[in-house]
Amino acid sequence: MTTVMLVDDSATMLMSLKSILTKAGYTVETAGHGKEALDKLGKGVKPNLIISDVNMPQMDGITFAREARKAPGMRFTPILMLTTESEQTKRAEAKAAGATGWLVKPVGPDQLLGVIKQVLPGA
Amino acid sequence: MPSILRKLSKASAEPEDESLRPDVLVAALEPVPSYCDVVDAHVHDVIEQTGDAAQAIVEQLVKVDSLAEVMAGDVAQLAGTLSRTETELSQVSSSNDQLVGRLISYFLHRDHQIRALVDQMRDLDQHVKQIEEVSRATNILALNAMIEAVRAGEAGEGFSVVADEVRKLARRSAEAAHGIGSSIGDLTARLDSVLSDDSEFDRDQDIPATTEETAMTRRLGGIANAQREMSEMVSGILKDTVSAAEQVQRSSGALTVETTGAVGHVQFQDISRQMLEHVAEAVADVRRQTEDVASYARGTLTEEELLARVISIEDLRAKHVMSRQRTTHAAQTGGPAHEDAEPLIELF
Repeated sequence: MTTVMLVDDSATMLMSLKSILTKAGYTVETAGHGKEALDKLGKGVKPNLIISDVNMPQMDGITFAREARKAPGMRFTPILMLTTESEQTKRAEAKAAGATGWLVKPVGPDQLLGVIKQVLPGA
Repeated sequence: MPSILRKLSKASAEPEDESLRPDVLVAALEPVPSYCDVVDAHVHDVIEQTGDAAQAIVEQLVKVDSLAEVMAGDVAQLAGTLSRTETELSQVSSSNDQLVGRLISYFLHRDHQIRALVDQMRDLDQHVKQIEEVSRATNILALNAMIEAVRAGEAGEGFSVVADEVRKLARRSAEAAHGIGSSIGDLTARLDSVLSDDSEFDRDQDIPATTEETAMTRRLGGIANAQREMSEMVSGILKDTVSAAEQVQRSSGALTVETTGAVGHVQFQDISRQMLEHVAEAVADVRRQTEDVASYARGTLTEEELLARVISIEDLRAKHVMSRQRTTHAAQTGGPAHEDAEPLIELF
């Protein structure tokens, strides 16, 4: 079972993405911000993929990506940033922090699942 | 707002301009922060309301999606059951057809045998009549022999006894033949009655008489036809129902695709939320600058401090993080179109 961790401060986004991914057969873990997601990783949650927002309270997505890479077993786990932002500088920051890709909202269900297939070919 | 600043700058540089009164300016600017606060409250209220609405929409879409999946499952199960029932019904119907066919063959064969038997018994009646004829002739012959024996006198007495016995035998033979003939007649009549019962039924049912079929076989054929028609009708209904169930399945599948798409579209709320938050930030900037201008007019803020904190359209542009925001900004300010050519999806 492939597990996807969703990190977003918008409950609507979490619910929307969870619905799409669950329907596609993925197990979904959710967190409302980077710190909560990091806590879950520290408690042994081992997602196969992380999809994170960028602007969030307590800990933003780019900081979370940087910290998540330090968690055990998370070195090569794909981390996709899903955000409304499209600036190149932010993308570069995310890439430097260890993010795998950058998706600008809104992303259609087919597009999202297509990207997941690209970063998780076996899933 | 920049025009006010220009006036203020001019007022400082040209004190002889009596048209500008700082106290009036302060009074005019005083309600602006409250005004901005109300606008800010409205913006956040819209954010909250659209957030609640979007969440409710997603929840309901998820429920619709679940119900559509359950419905598709139930309908698939129903279609399977109906399809199997239709197959079984066809098999039973076919089996009944075969059974009725065998029964019809059996009854046709039985009727044929009864008719042959009746014919043979009628032939026997002819033989019985021949025996009766022979008995009559023998009786006459015996009478003649007795007459001749009487004429012969004493010598013919023995012959007379023999002739009498022959006459008795002839009578008994005639009686036996008559009895056999009567029995054959009764049996033939009874068998004819069996066949004629079918004919009477045919007449009652207005069924035209034919040589091959009997009423029984026609009755069986009629039952078989009725059963076949009923089976075909039920089978047609089942097939139509299966077809409708499959259509419902397809529609349910299409519905779940649509609901998934709709769930994806709810991301608009997250985007509009962030855009509205930027609007609220811009309103806060205007509020702050209004207070600064009022402070400057009151003399509690220096010109340098004021000008150092003046908001600019470029500052606003720098806060735009979305491509759409920059496009709108450029369209409004007449500035260059957004230079972003970043892909919406980029894998590093």
